[in-house]
Amino acid sequence: MNHPTEEQLILYHYGEVEGRDLIASHLQGCESCRTSYQALQRVLEAVNSMPVPQRSESYGAEVWRQVSGQIVKATAPRRLDFWQLFQWPRWSVAGALALLVLIAFLAGRFWPQRDSTTEPLIAKSTQPISRQARERVLLKEIGDHLERSQLALIELINSKTNGVVDISLEQSLARQLVDVNRLYRQSALRLGDAGMASVLEDLERTLIEISNSPSQLSSTEFAEIRRRIDTDDTLFKVKVVGSQVRAKERETARELAAKRS
Amino acid sequence: MMEESDAALVTRAREGDQDAFRLLVERHSVRLFQLAFRMTSNEQDAEDLVQETFLRAYKQLSRFQSRAGLGTWLYRIAANCSLDLLRRQKRRGDQERAVEFDSEEAFPAILSGAPAPDQQVYHGEVRQKVESAMRELTPMERTAFVLRHFEGQSIEEIGSALGVGPGATKQSIFRAVQKMRRALEPLVNAIP
Repeated sequence: MNHPTEEQLILYHYGEVEGRDLIASHLQGCESCRTSYQALQRVLEAVNSMPVPQRSESYGAEVWRQVSGQIVKATAPRRLDFWQLFQWPRWSVAGALALLVLIAFLAGRFWPQRDSTTEPLIAKSTQPISRQARERVLLKEIGDHLERSQLALIELINSKTNGVVDISLEQSLARQLVDVNRLYRQSALRLGDAGMASVLEDLERTLIEISNSPSQLSSTEFAEIRRRIDTDDTLFKVKVVGSQVRAKERETARELAAKRS
Repeated sequence: MMEESDAALVTRAREGDQDAFRLLVERHSVRLFQLAFRMTSNEQDAEDLVQETFLRAYKQLSRFQSRAGLGTWLYRIAANCSLDLLRRQKRRGDQERAVEFDSEEAFPAILSGAPAPDQQVYHGEVRQKVESAMRELTPMERTAFVLRHFEGQSIEEIGSALGVGPGATKQSIFRAVQKMRRALEPLVNAIP
């Protein structure tokens, strides 16, 4: 096998990697990977030295003393009864209904269209795969991509701002995401889903901007990037479309399971 | 006498038996404190988080499904409380205050038993570096890393606790380890 990446070595350490045996035998035969893995192990062992103050056996009783007063005030937990919905304040019912309408509107707008003349991103397999199964794989991939992008933007926004902000890690991630994003955007355009393509285009612009920024930003430059992400509502749009894609993926999975059974 | 199971205590607590909930608090507080401290590096914050976790848990008891295990469910609530707290602190920019506890005061036995002064200095330095590297993690990275590294939770469990998919969870853990590595490797590898 090729040399495992740093990510694979980390996942290997935590027992979460696929092809564990392959990596284990590679590490036996490859000195440079073994050295790198041993260095990683030393770091993670050092992390275990982080001390945690001890708590005595009576700590639980102390916690109870502190929380019991508030628990007594609270009513005993009850299951929410359907009819209780009608006891909600009117504004919250109206808000929930408005949200449902909004979701329905966006769902109709952003769902991938089923167009038999266009090809999705997934390569054709030698085995016949149903259109629905291919759609599900595509949805899963897009959902993962949107989730990764969303997280990358959240992490960037939350970066520490002590004068200079180092965004080198976020940048390397943004560069990886840009290429994948471009493929999905083109795929969405081919499928005729202008809404999805538009959100992916906004996202791509943001990712490119992050990729091309200097890796050390002054607090003013950083504030500007953050402001643009906020102004364009990129994060919000990615979140909304991401949830829709996930919901559609679940629906497709259910349909596929129903067909199989 | 056999100890009553968590599931049985939850059933009683749901029916309004506060004594049952007291037993659950007493049973799980210490481990929750350890988790909360690793998330926050601050004793007071950790204690507050433990209390908040139990208060939220009590209010949400009807949502608990016994197949998940009460410990896992409480961890999930604690992780979310920690995430909220870390994000609030980050916004306020007061994370610098996070490390306030004195290692020497908290671990007199360990330190007095240290074999040599130079090793003691080295271990102290490593601990400081670990704490400072942990503070550099974003709230999501820190939470995911603590749940994986210290609590041994699976990627799936962590993702489900934090409301993100496995890809994003792996990414958070990966980035956390990368940052820890960047901060600690020079020091750790300096020792033969």
